Amino acid sequence: MNDTQTDTLSAYNTGSEGKTLLKAEGLERKFGGLTAVADFSFELHDGEILGLIGPNGAGKSTTFNLISGFIPPTSGTLSFLGQNITSKSATYISRMGLIRTFQHESLLSEMSVADNIIIATTHRLKTAAARLERMREMAKLTGLEDYLEVTASSLPHGLQRMLSIAIALAAEPKVLCLDEPLTGLQGAEVKAALDLFEMIRSELGITILLVEHNMRAVMRICDRILVLNHGRLLATGTPEEVSQNELVIEAYLGHKK
Amino acid sequence: MLKSNPGLALCILIALAAVCFALFSGEPYYVQVVIWVFANAVLAVTLRFVLLIGELNIATAAFFGIGAYTTAVASTILDWSFFASLLAAPIIAGLISALFGWVTLRTKGPYFLLISFAFTEIVRLLYTKSDVLGGNSGMIGMFPPMELDAYFPAIAITLLAAIMFGLYAAERSNLGRVFKAIKNNEDIPRSVGLNVIGLKILCLVIASTAVGLAGGVNAYTNSVIAPADFTYFVAVLALAYVKIGGEGHIIGPIIGATILTLAGQLLHSFGPYENIFYGIIIIGVLLLVPGGIVGLGERFKAGTFIGRAGR
Repeated sequence: MNDTQTDTLSAYNTGSEGKTLLKAEGLERKFGGLTAVADFSFELHDGEILGLIGPNGAGKSTTFNLISGFIPPTSGTLSFLGQNITSKSATYISRMGLIRTFQHESLLSEMSVADNIIIATTHRLKTAAARLERMREMAKLTGLEDYLEVTASSLPHGLQRMLSIAIALAAEPKVLCLDEPLTGLQGAEVKAALDLFEMIRSELGITILLVEHNMRAVMRICDRILVLNHGRLLATGTPEEVSQNELVIEAYLGHKK
Repeated sequence: MLKSNPGLALCILIALAAVCFALFSGEPYYVQVVIWVFANAVLAVTLRFVLLIGELNIATAAFFGIGAYTTAVASTILDWSFFASLLAAPIIAGLISALFGWVTLRTKGPYFLLISFAFTEIVRLLYTKSDVLGGNSGMIGMFPPMELDAYFPAIAITLLAAIMFGLYAAERSNLGRVFKAIKNNEDIPRSVGLNVIGLKILCLVIASTAVGLAGGVNAYTNSVIAPADFTYFVAVLALAYVKIGGEGHIIGPIIGATILTLAGQLLHSFGPYENIFYGIIIIGVLLLVPGGIVGLGERFKAGTFIGRAGR
């Protein structure tokens, strides 16, 4: 199984830029009588930063849980790297290289920063030395190298956000799904985080799907944006197109009379 | 490695001293007490091992019993050799626990605890209903071979000590870190490619294999086993050892088991009132020193003892 997976991965690595990595078709999820996501189709292309925005309750977190395998869709299909991953387990999907972060409880709060990151290296790296080395690299990348022995829950909020990204990066993602990574960050921290995302995309070659409420940040960093409202795709396009879309303005600001 | 870990070196010395005591003291009763201390320590350490993933495993008692009955059946009914009978115990206990874990560890919440409790009682009832296994009166006649008889206490202590060192090594490895991560927030290990349910089952299988071997040793130590030796209360006592000694470090349950087992020997004269004493100790420790004896030691080390006790 490992061999075939590696083959698939390398085939995609050599592919032309803009190739579809993740594809959702007619994705739907119901919770009892409530439809959280309905008829949602989108594609995530190699090398892009794709924003997923929408008002509270629009279905963004449900979408994340669906594509990462944490909950199965009621109907619709998902494919990743050309393989059908609908109803595959979260473990299987993350091993393929689709790694997500969490909006809440995104850390191992009782463990040290070092242990948090090492856990994420466990599946790929089999020796303690290799894990330690990768942990140090990821800590350095995210500005955590001076906090390795600190318990995660006692880190300042901004660094906790960085740690959740370090965890995801340590697992060697092909696609990184960030769930509101900027929540609670101050001005300078937001800028540092956005620079990090740019670096992750351009230097590490990782494609990013970003759920975020900070509109200014989303407009600045994303190549394309998907707008969800009431669980349905409302609009899609470049930041400019989306910000001028009547339907989007209506969804955020209310109906025009 | 031992230089950097004086605690481990001390524990190895104590284990060696216990083996020597068993070989040379010529005091059968006290040797027996030492074996009980080690056996109870293994029960507590294996119970704590599954607590690493955040599950309270009452079935520790069941797998201890399964190990004992496996050895008893192998040696008295199947006439297997001493070592084969002993070896069968951890294998059967481990296999059954894999099946048990595969079914039960998918649940969240208190269900594992409840099912492990029910499982323990069902297994015990099965013994009482089985004629082959001697029903209520159990099985008798598990004796080490004559030529090993004099060395058996030393062998038993060596095996029980080896189990604890093995579990200590497992906890110190990356596997131990992964188990703690699962307890802390299992979504994180799952999101980075770890098979959380498989790892939970592995944790249970390691603990059950260990306690199964202890059960086999127990069958030879006592030469008699009965269903009443393997009720859920065995796990409750083990939990008391863990809580009193402290859950934070593997030495905690070992200290707890040692103190309570020795105290129990002195308290036998109280008859049925013995359990009241255990109850008082457990409540007292939980109220006054929630971290157990190990937690107390760490507070001394951190210099916060007076501050906290004054609250």
